Formats: sequence, structure tokens, C-alpha cells
Amino acid sequence: MRRWARREDERLLTGRGRYVADIRVPGCLDAVFVRSGVAHGVLREVDCTAAREVPGVAGAWSAADLMDLPACPHAAGDLQDLPPVPRTVAVGLSPEEAVAGREWPVLVKDRVRYPGEAVAVVLGEDRYRAEDGAAEVTFRIDPLPAVVTPSAAAEDSVRLFDGLSNIAFEGSAGRPIDEAVLQGAAVVVEARYRQQLLMPTPMECRTFLAVPEADRLTVWAGHQMPHRLRRELAALLEWPPDRVRVVVPDTGGAFGSKSALFPEYVAVAFLAVRLGRPVRWIEDRLESMLVATRGRGQDQRVRLAADAEGRLLAYELTIDADVGAYPHLAVGLPMQTAWMATGPYTTPQVRATLRSVLTNTMVTYPYRGAGRPEATVALERSMDALAHRLGLDPAELRRRNLIPPASFPYRTPTGRCYDSGNYAAALDLALTTLDYDGWRAERARRRADPAALPLGIGLACYVERSGGEPGGLHEFGGVEAREDGTVVARSGTSSSGQSHETVFPALVARTLGVDEARVRLAEGDTGEQPQGVGSFASRSAQVAGAMLVHACALLVGRARERAAGLWEVPVGEVAWCDGAVHAGPAVMDLAELVKLTGPLRVDDRFAAGMAFPFGAHAAVAEVDPELGTVRVLRLVAVDDCGTVLDPVVVRGQAFGSAVQGIGQALYEGFAFGEDGVPLLAGALLDYLLPTDAEVPPIEIRDTRTPSPGTPLGAKGAGESGCIGTPAAIVNAVADALRIADPGLLGTPLTPETVWRAARAPKLPERPV
Amino acid sequence: MKPAAFDYVAPRTVREAVEALGAGRDAHVLAGGQSLILEMRLRRARPEVVVDINRVPGLGRLSVDGGTLRVGALVRHDAFEAAGAVPGPLGTLFSLAVVTIAHPPIRSRGTMVGSLAWGHPASEWCAVAVAMDAVLELRGSGGAREVAAGGFFHGPFQTARRPDELVTAVRFPLPGADTGAGFAEHRRTHFCFAQVAVAATLTVRGGLVAEARIGLVNAADRPVRARAAERALLGAEVVLPPAGHRLPGGHPFARAGEIAATADAAPVAEPYAGVDYKRHAVAVLVGRALRQAAEDQRSRAAVHRGGHR
Amino acid sequence: MRITVRVNDREYRLDVEPRRILADVLREDCGLTGTHLGCEHGVCGACTVLVDGAAVRSCLMLAVQCDGGAVRTVEGLAGRDGEPHPLQRAFSAEHALQCGFCTPGFLMAAAGALEADPAVGEDPERVAALAGSGICRCTGYEPIRRAITRAAREWPRPAT
Repeated sequence: MRRWARREDERLLTGRGRYVADIRVPGCLDAVFVRSGVAHGVLREVDCTAAREVPGVAGAWSAADLMDLPACPHAAGDLQDLPPVPRTVAVGLSPEEAVAGREWPVLVKDRVRYPGEAVAVVLGEDRYRAEDGAAEVTFRIDPLPAVVTPSAAAEDSVRLFDGLSNIAFEGSAGRPIDEAVLQGAAVVVEARYRQQLLMPTPMECRTFLAVPEADRLTVWAGHQMPHRLRRELAALLEWPPDRVRVVVPDTGGAFGSKSALFPEYVAVAFLAVRLGRPVRWIEDRLESMLVATRGRGQDQRVRLAADAEGRLLAYELTIDADVGAYPHLAVGLPMQTAWMATGPYTTPQVRATLRSVLTNTMVTYPYRGAGRPEATVALERSMDALAHRLGLDPAELRRRNLIPPASFPYRTPTGRCYDSGNYAAALDLALTTLDYDGWRAERARRRADPAALPLGIGLACYVERSGGEPGGLHEFGGVEAREDGTVVARSGTSSSGQSHETVFPALVARTLGVDEARVRLAEGDTGEQPQGVGSFASRSAQVAGAMLVHACALLVGRARERAAGLWEVPVGEVAWCDGAVHAGPAVMDLAELVKLTGPLRVDDRFAAGMAFPFGAHAAVAEVDPELGTVRVLRLVAVDDCGTVLDPVVVRGQAFGSAVQGIGQALYEGFAFGEDGVPLLAGALLDYLLPTDAEVPPIEIRDTRTPSPGTPLGAKGAGESGCIGTPAAIVNAVADALRIADPGLLGTPLTPETVWRAARAPKLPERPV
Repeated sequence: MKPAAFDYVAPRTVREAVEALGAGRDAHVLAGGQSLILEMRLRRARPEVVVDINRVPGLGRLSVDGGTLRVGALVRHDAFEAAGAVPGPLGTLFSLAVVTIAHPPIRSRGTMVGSLAWGHPASEWCAVAVAMDAVLELRGSGGAREVAAGGFFHGPFQTARRPDELVTAVRFPLPGADTGAGFAEHRRTHFCFAQVAVAATLTVRGGLVAEARIGLVNAADRPVRARAAERALLGAEVVLPPAGHRLPGGHPFARAGEIAATADAAPVAEPYAGVDYKRHAVAVLVGRALRQAAEDQRSRAAVHRGGHR
Repeated sequence: MRITVRVNDREYRLDVEPRRILADVLREDCGLTGTHLGCEHGVCGACTVLVDGAAVRSCLMLAVQCDGGAVRTVEGLAGRDGEPHPLQRAFSAEHALQCGFCTPGFLMAAAGALEADPAVGEDPERVAALAGSGICRCTGYEPIRRAITRAAREWPRPAT
């Protein structure tokens, strides 16, 4: 047996991992940001004078200070003003008009728009001294009323940008529902759901270390998209990209939160270049509570109509989505929810409309699931409510409407084309694994016993999208065979815990037929792999995996051509097998071929199709109606991510993701004070993450329906739990309480919420 | 999240510690530090002097003298995890309460006396001390004095301790074998403060409640002794309620819970726990803690009888 | 303030400000960056180390409190010959880590408990208490529980 299951393990288990905060650079300064405690207000004055006198402080700047600085003799002397945070106009997502006139300054110039927004930056010899300095910065903010929910902000009674509506974008998917269909339906479920703001909360907060050297800048950051970071930094500095190198060392989780260029990064890079000194920002947990990106944040209304047999007729989803204070990726992100509104069903009419609304909170950004959990939760909660209204078993209702396997590719009314699937098989496996009938009997037993805690069963079927949107479905990389017999695989992706270093070399070794130990991955360093897209949208295996398989094929082609030349035989007579070229009795391995014929390296760009992973989750929950506490007794997650590259790694992703889904359903979230500031002063004592004590027995199962979108057949994995699990748990609680109005169960299902729901009107008794 | 600068002293005697506290500067005592250093990291506490008492010999003593338990200022939470660490029902109560305090690495540093001196409204020990008529021993520049726990807590993080005083120990009277203990805590996850918790003991003689003690955690801006509920229980017949999560409406434990919620508790709203909800939780948890105490008393009495046979 | 601390059986003579947190001194003054700071307020447990044999949050201790004491960090877990600790092997075998950031804290909490009493591994509740003493955002904890149990099973038995 190998001593270490993954290549990453040895260093990470012995304390020799290297995260950005572990990197020692002589003379490096620590940046600390002075932050607004006010959610919305006019910044009147900032005074950094006293801070500059604090021992160990190297400098302190407000936005005005940086504008006023005289030209510096340094090579970067032409940088006089902090540029704004670059807007993210991701492919097909954030439209230009949403961004116009709504600039995100790196340091507040005149208007604070979210709590925690930085009004000054202090550099110190270490974090202690920088914080000492930050404590001496004085500033005054005249507060303005704050709006913290999209529905409230959409009224425009308080505007974040004078003269501009808070509604930054309106979009839709699908054709308007024919009202006659709704009127003729046997049942129409109407409900409102609030998808609370969540914080991705990787255990390592954000990190950014900028090291200037001559006319170049090297940046070390825990990051999902190093190439984009380099591109954006270079543009801000007005440098050619090759003067910036971004390196992603070990990264302590990301879950979507580490894919952008944040204001703090701009300030640090700018000051490092300006001062000609290394500067780093290691975000601490307390500041992350206010300024780390948030996910989700939708106020939803649904109408779901079915005939008396439970055939879905129409589904309408209306969304007010929380963008946060500045229009970035989150403006278009809710379109993901709209496009996926159809879910796994054959509903003939589906319509989703949305408004993306600015609020006085830190910006919303993708968080594991990114738009798909919102779609799934709304639809699946409504499906359970519909089943109860119809007196149908929720599993049976779903079965009657799931898209059948023969219908793929399936074009949805909301504009998606699902690639492949067997949705009913996933549901059946989930039910069998759960022992659905056994739990139904237990539920009935408890309903008859007043001393027993009520128990409920919840289901959620989902289909999601992985890989990205058209135009962003490609990845760069390649494969190189070296004289010493080693193979280097290059990829534009970036790992933050997903085991790329283990999985990708194994894939390349398998594809080429060479010894896995001889293959090494080069990733997360723009110096080694000049182009790349990155790791998000569950795209690494699906897109980069396929890219590596494609590159291997190119490499084999070249090797066969070279062998044909060497051996003077037609290339058609040269075969490839077990890492070597063969022609008749002649055999030559890669290393020898390279020795004889020179370096052999292929680099390419490979585009995949969008893929649509799917699955079915089932939860059993017990509720203490007296206190409103929920205990999940059992969770089953059946996921299908097509071809699986490494089952143990995929299982680990599915399991961890399901636990985040539990967090979303039951624990994670935050309230706002009347001043619009999140009540998170106790950090992780207030923002509650699931701990081991909250994790029920979870069974992970899979079905495997390859994607036709790439020769590899892999779909995205790892977001499934955040997508399927929350709805299953909420449905289980609703089932246990048999409440008539599903909208009463707002997430997170805090004890108080559940306690109140337990006292609300019940559904009529009906044999199910 | 780095503490501001301070002067550090590590006295070797109680007298030195008291001198350091009384030197006229804003001084904080460092025992376990699990609250103090947290507050310093959040820069909500910015002491000029930190007086680390960890090198003062003798403060780590846990002793029983006659009918009294004495817990020194450096006795860590985890000392109480084994039910046998403290004799009788008090040991049971402590062992039930202590496992709800944070998690093992915090319990191996944090101290009971430190929790009392800190006075967090959600502190389990504070409510236990109030319920069990604990007495705090303080030493200051003016000498030694004692303060009953019932009068010690003045509000959130506010106590009768004077700035120059060190709480050197806390004493608890040990209840007898006719007493049973219960502790019921309600919190959202394993890692957060209690939304509400209840410590209770019942002393039963001749099948009737001879004494009831009920301490409420996080049911007001300070720990609460639920005296009205205790009075209502006196003389009540102890009948174990039937199994189930809900007590029958007229049961004395349910009634005590209602009284504690309405007459004794004065809840402060928190995110995700409004006043109405907290009151309701007090009622439920008082009932559950009393049920547990009654069960504990019954099994204790059975063992006691068995031992005499 | 001058202090002397034994870290992983090596003596460090250090001059530190009283306010400096043990975790920062381990990372910066001793260069032992395997101890990670995940929350700096005692909740997440990534910084857990052994101080005089007991698992503590190194983010909630001052380095000066350890003057004359002994600290063990993840770097001191493997044997002198570099042979991995049973917990290190078990965490890998059970895939009890993904990003690895929280891992040193779980390793040290478990090491402290198992070294004090290897029977901890046979009691699911005590194993759960260990897995429940920190936050992991990647694995969902179950593999961590399995790893602790496995390490206890493979714990070197005293020769009989």
C-alpha cells in the first residue's frame, strides 16, 4: 500500500504545507484595513496622521492621501490614484449597463455602501503594529438609512448611487405563463421563499502577498483563477501581463469565495509596487465576517400548477436577488437560477423573471452551487407542497414528471439543453438506500403516538449545470514528455483542496499508459502555465480533465509521427501502447523517443460542452416541537457526475458538500441590526458552521451517466450537496410538522423559526 | 485580531497578584484566558496590565471540607467532567453542565472561577453558582471578603468584584443523597453559547419536594435564580411524568416552568432568539431539568437503599 | 520579555512582547508554520497544539504563558526517524483532509487524547468529542472520525 493516499497528504499532514501566510519574505509589510462600522453613509473625513506616528507603522493612507501623493521616482511613479476594483463581466453573465456609473473604489472616497468597506489602509512591520496604527486612524461618517434585503432595496426609497435605481438588472428565462393554464389547474401552489445570505467560510480566509522585484510583480494568493487575477492586476498597473506572475500555493478552501480581484488586493498590489516593498494582506476571521463575499440572497415567489393526476402544467419563479453594494458578478448570477428553473421535470411552461438589486452589504458572489441551489430549493420545496396538496406521495409525484432518459438532449423552456441523464434511476436509488418505506412506517407510527417526536421525510431531485457558460467552457494546458522519463501535465486550473495534484497525474498516466509516479502536475503558477481559466463551476475534471485527455491524444499522435520517421514506416503502422510506440517488433518508450528526437511538448486549448449533473437527495428529520430543534437522522445523497475520475475524491467532495448543505438548511445565516450591520461581532460564535455533532449518518451513492460533451464524459462534482441537501432537509421538517404554508420555514431553520412553524395551521389529515 | 500592547506580570503569591491589581491601572486577571484573550483579540478588552495568576501555587486546589466543596481559582473546567470528581449530586450537576461549555481544548484551559468573575449571561457556571448558593472568596488590598453568588452578578460582565480584588475560590455547599440534579441546555450547534439553559436540583423527602433549586442561564442580563418557580414546587408530590417531549399541562414541573418563564426570567432578545421564544424555552427546559433531577434523585435513592440492604 | 520554551523537543530562547499570541510566536519566531490560524478566537481549532501534553487553542494563549513549558506542534508529530505518526497515516488513508488547513489542529487534539489514553479510539463518543473539537469545512468530519479510530487501532502496543 502507498504510504500516502494523495500526493498532497504528506506535506499537509506534517506541517510542511505552504499556504500564503506561511511564506516568509524579508521586509514584508502587513496590511490592515480601517473599516467602516456603518452600513451606509457619507464619509466626511479620514485622518491618518496619528497612525503614521505609531512605532512599526510604515504608512497609512486614505483614498484622498493616495490621490494627493506626489509622483514617485519609482518605476511605478505614474500610478497616482487607486484604480477602481475591476468589474467582472463574466461570459454571458454581468451586463455592461449594470456596471456603468457604479464604480467600486478600493478605499471609500465619499460614500460608504457596505459595513466593513475600507476607509484607510495601514502598513506595519507586522500585523500587531499595523493594527496598532489602524486603531489610531480617525474618521467620521454621517449615516444614511441602509437597505439590506433586495425586496426593500428595490423600492428605491434609499438609493445607493444617487440618480440611479438600485435595480441593476432585470432578466428572464422562458415565455410568460399562460394564465388560462393556471386557472384550469387542479392545484396551484403559491409560496414565498427567502434564500438567506451565506458565507462560504473556507477555513483559510483570503490571502494576498505582493512581491515587487525590478519591473516585475509576483503575487502569491489563495485563488481559484490565477490567470484572471494576473490579467486584471496587469491591466490596473498598466503593465503587460508578462510582468506579473501569480502563484497559488496550498490554499485552505475556497468554495467560490476566492475567484475575484478584491479591493484589498488592489490596494496591496498598488502599495507594494509604489513602495518597492513586499506587502501582504492576510484577512482575519473578524474582518471576513463583514467583507468576505456572500452567496445566495434571493427573495423568491413561486407558482407551481399541476393537474389532478399530478402532471406539472406550469411553473413560475420570480426573484429579487441581492447583488450587494456594487454590481459585479452577482448581477448576472441569478440568471443561473432562472435558466435552471425548469429543474428535472417535463413541465411544459416555465418562466423565471428576476431583478438584481443593490443592497448595503458586501457583494454577493458565487458560493458552492451558485444559483443552482436557489433554483432547486424553490422548486423542490414547492414540489413537496404540491404533493401534500394533491395527497400524492412526493416520490410518486416526482416520478410522474421526471424527464425520461430517452428525451436527452432535452431542451428546457428556460433555454437549457440538458446533455444526458437518468433522473428516475437516481431517485429510485435514493429511496432504496434510505429505506423509504421503512421510514414511512416509522412516520406513521409516530403520528399515532403523542409521546413520540414527529418525524418527516424530505426529498429533493435536482439537475444542475457544470463547466461554465458558453464562451468560458475551455481550458488551457498540455502534456510534456521529458528525457528523464517523466511527464509534466499542465493545466490552467487551480486547486484549493480538490486533490488535483493526485487526480490529474493519475488521469494522464492512465491515458498514456505510463507509470503514475512519473507524472507531475504543473498548475496554479502563471509562470509555468501562461494561460488558464481556473477552477470554478465544478469545471476542473469536466473541462481540464478532458483537456488533458485531449492533450495526451495529441502527444501520442506526435510520438507516433516521430517514431514513423525514425523507423521509416507509415505512421499508420505505429501503434501506441503502455506508454510506448510500437511497430512490428520495434518498441520505444517516451523517454527514449524524446532523447532521440528532441523535446516533446503539446500545449493546447480545449473546449467542452456544458454538462448537467443531477441526483436525488433524501433526508429524515425529527423535530422537537417544544423547542423547535431539528435533528437530521439520516441523509442519502445520490449524485451523478458522469464519468468519475477518482471515486474516493468525488465521494469526499459529495460528503463535504452535503454537510455545507446541512449548514445552509439549519445553521448558517445572519441577522442585521436596525442600522443594517450584520450581527456578527462574535464571528464564528454567531455565524454557525456545522460541527461534527451536527452531522447525521450520511450515505453517498452514485449513478454514472457520462456526459456526451467531452470524450472523457466527466461532469462537474462537488456542488451537489449544497444543491440537493437543503431542500431535502427543509422538506423533511415541513413533513414532520405538516404545516400548510411551506413559506413559514425560512432558512436557516433556527429553533425559533421551527417552533413558530410548529404552532401554525396544519395540513388536513390525509392518508399518504 | 491582535491584542493591543499591555504590561504583563506573573505574580507568585496572591498578595503580589492583589498588589498588581491595585496599582491604579486598568488590570485584568488572566486565569484560563479563554474569554479574556478572545475579548482582547476583538479589542473589546484593552487592559493596561495583565495579571497572570497561573504561577500562583495553591490556586489549583479542589477540596472537600465537611459539607463544602472549595474550587480554587485555577481549577480548569475539565476537572469536573468525571461525575465522581465532586461527591454526590453536585458532582452530577457539574458533570452535566461542564460538557456544554465549549469543547475540550477550551475546557482544558478555562476555569470555573474565571467564568464566575467574567459574568457572561450565558455562562453555565454562573447560573449553577446562583442556584446552589455558592460563595465567592475575594482578596483585595483591603483584605479578604466573601460574597454570595446570589449578590455577585450585577449585569452582563458586571460583578461585585472590585478592580483590585482577585476571586481566589468559590465554595459550594454539598447537597445530600436525597437530592437529584438535572441540567438542560438548548443551543443551536455544538459550538455556540446557550440560547437558554437550566440547572436544577430537587431534594425529596417522603415523596415530596423539600427543596428545589433552579438556575437560569441566559434568561436575563445575568444569571437568574428562579425563586418563584422554586417556591411553587415546595411540598409538591414528586411524580415522574410519562415519557415524551411534552410534560402534561398540570404537572408541577410544567407549572414550575411556566412560573420561571413568566415570573423569574427577564430574557434579552438575541439574533434568532426573541424574548417570547426564550421565555418559552425557559419553561420547557425548567420542566426537563426538573424531570432529570427527579430521575437522578430516584436512582440515587435506590442506590442508597441498596447500599443499606 | 525573555522566555524559554521547548517546542518539539528543541529549546527556543525567545524575546517576545507579552501580547504576542502563542500561535504567532510558533509560526513567526520558531518558523513552525504548520500551526494555522483559522479564526483567532478559539472556535475553529486549526491552531490546536499540545502545551505540556494538553490540547489547547494556541490562539488563546500568550507565548509568555509557556515560559519554561513544553509545546508540541504538528511538525513534532512524526517519529525522530521521520516515520509518520499513526494519526498522520490514518488521516491520509481515510481521506480525512482535503485542503489541509484545519488538519494540524485535529491531528494535535487527537494526538493529545490518544497519547494520554489510546482507549479513546474504542469509544465512539470520545472519538466524536475529538472530531467535534474543531471545524472542517471540506470533509464533513466523518472521515476524521474514521481516521482517529483507525489510528487508535494501529496504535503501537506496549510490548507484553
